[in-house]
Amino acid sequence: MIVRSRPFIAWFTATFLLTSAGAASAYHTQFVADNCNYAAPTATSYITRDGSATVALRARHEGYQWAGGCWNDNDRDDSPNDPTSDPSTGGEGGDCSGFTFKVWRESQNESDAGFYQWGMLRAVHGPFTASRFKAGHGAANVTVAKSALTKMDALASESHIGMIYAKNADGTDQIIEAKGEAYGTNIWTRTYRGDASYSGVRRTGWSS
Amino acid sequence: MDDWNPYLVRRLPATFGVLAGVLTGAAAFVAAGSAVESGRADTTAVVVEATHVPALLTQAGERVELRYDAYCIELENEDAESSCDLSGTVYIRAGAAGRFRELPLRGDGGASQLVARVPDDIASSPRGFTYYAEIAASSGQAATTLPSGGAAAPHQSLPLGSPVTIDLGRHEFGTTVHADERVAEVAWGEGAEQAGLEHGRNLTPTGASAFDVDPSGSVVLLDQANRRIFRWRSGTRAPTRIPLSIAGQLADVSLAPDGSMHVLESVSEPGRTPLVRRFDPYGRTLQKIETAERTSSQIRQGPTGPVVLQQPSGQWMPVMSAGTPIAAEIQRRRGRAGRPIRGGGEIVVLRVDNEIRVAVVGSSGARRTWRIVSKTMLAEVQLADVLGDQVVLVARVYDDAADEFVALVLGDDGLVSRVALDAADWAETAPLGRFKLVGGSLYQLGSTPAGAFVDRFDLGVG
Repeated sequence: MIVRSRPFIAWFTATFLLTSAGAASAYHTQFVADNCNYAAPTATSYITRDGSATVALRARHEGYQWAGGCWNDNDRDDSPNDPTSDPSTGGEGGDCSGFTFKVWRESQNESDAGFYQWGMLRAVHGPFTASRFKAGHGAANVTVAKSALTKMDALASESHIGMIYAKNADGTDQIIEAKGEAYGTNIWTRTYRGDASYSGVRRTGWSS
Repeated sequence: MDDWNPYLVRRLPATFGVLAGVLTGAAAFVAAGSAVESGRADTTAVVVEATHVPALLTQAGERVELRYDAYCIELENEDAESSCDLSGTVYIRAGAAGRFRELPLRGDGGASQLVARVPDDIASSPRGFTYYAEIAASSGQAATTLPSGGAAAPHQSLPLGSPVTIDLGRHEFGTTVHADERVAEVAWGEGAEQAGLEHGRNLTPTGASAFDVDPSGSVVLLDQANRRIFRWRSGTRAPTRIPLSIAGQLADVSLAPDGSMHVLESVSEPGRTPLVRRFDPYGRTLQKIETAERTSSQIRQGPTGPVVLQQPSGQWMPVMSAGTPIAAEIQRRRGRAGRPIRGGGEIVVLRVDNEIRVAVVGSSGARRTWRIVSKTMLAEVQLADVLGDQVVLVARVYDDAADEFVALVLGDDGLVSRVALDAADWAETAPLGRFKLVGGSLYQLGSTPAGAFVDRFDLGVG
């Protein structure tokens, strides 16, 4: 929600929200406008699973934004409860595929399998939806048998993707994922690996 | 900071030592002293996070390595490869009593991988062994203990001894059995007798996330999206609706013998851990209990109250005893490898690749053990429970195109029965919330695009 000190703007905002009550488009946050940037990524010569895990861990407890890809590291969602159907609310967080794109240091050019480090506050989603990740689209991505997946590989369905953070003794996985607006980004125990609606996806080129 | 953050992970910003010293005196200053002594003037906060699959059940002659994935993150440093150095020690002993021996963890491949090989004399102990690890940033700014109870609640590894080995061979998909009865059913929606699906882009269908069955056969189904629970009395078709004050995301549920309902949330408030909410049979809130660790995946009833499977320790921790909530620190100190069984003892499960190891454990160690091997991939163990002198186990089998569950009844001489069940998992549920065993009946929570249901399968044993 926009919060400003000027009375007129506050009145205008309140009136706008009231008259638009119930409409998803009524909700707008300044998070992206106030915090995010469009800086060029830093090209790197390699990528490691450990390094990607640390990138992902920094996003824990941050928000979720459909079609988003910008977050800070203050361990809270700075734009909570924004509508789930509007990609333009300017809220904090990646969505599942935007989060994966940044953690996997991918390029916006689908034919480029190189490694690009994007800052947390860089607003970028990347060209891949969960469905496209699932199909292994892009030079950087391949499908892999689920039984062969290891740390920081991913499990993707037609509508969601999460990365494997760790295995549990009972055969479940700890998945690090941008799950949804009501969930944010975090680590949860999931059973995606055995679920037939999920496929295995791997970023190519890991150094270790 | 530690007092504000109940997580396993400890954060010690360098400036904390000075602040704490001013506010709370010399003791707090000393506690944070390592940061001050280092002479660092920056405010970089460091987090250490570690995971480990415990060696819960071992085979004779098996080489046992303890592997940890550990990360040291400087929160102010975005460079993906900039990870502070970590070092660690495993404290290990034969059996469950006596002094721990120190084993240094050594790096193994990637920067985050630490490993220690268990000495043969400990690995071959007939009493098994117990251990925990302390992993710290070399700067001393942060550390973690795994499991979080440390010496008070170490991981316990038990020898399988001479297990009953069951070879499932290659699973034939498409030969599932039909339920004996559909005991509960709702369509998706927001109406009075419908269960809701959570709203959200990119969110897979998510609804009716957990259920339970009491000894009389009454079924409760958690309709988290509509913040209520349905109850079907045994033999009735129409459910009663009970509003619940819950968060509305994926959650597990367990019925207590006194009729109260325990709901384990999966999403927590910033800086907190998931809650267990206890309700009376009419849906009135009785208690809220904070779990000890960052992730909780399952709640069940133990001999004295509910127990929760928590990560990253990977232990079952009691959250309430005789109606009294248990503080997080005490939960950690009571963590156990196995899920406590109401009749006494524990049941321990470990899946290793295409093998599942199961042990019924008493005070003197593993009483009965099984090894289940399969040519088809095995995913998670959804249920392992004692039924008389047998064990019922439900696991998921999968390949890259299909998945089903297999329900196995394990006896002293081998496999007593085996059936395949349709995965029926159109909607996402609590990860380990799909099956319950009551008497000789196995209940399954399933779903299709039309709605959610609970089916009963009579196992004919027990």
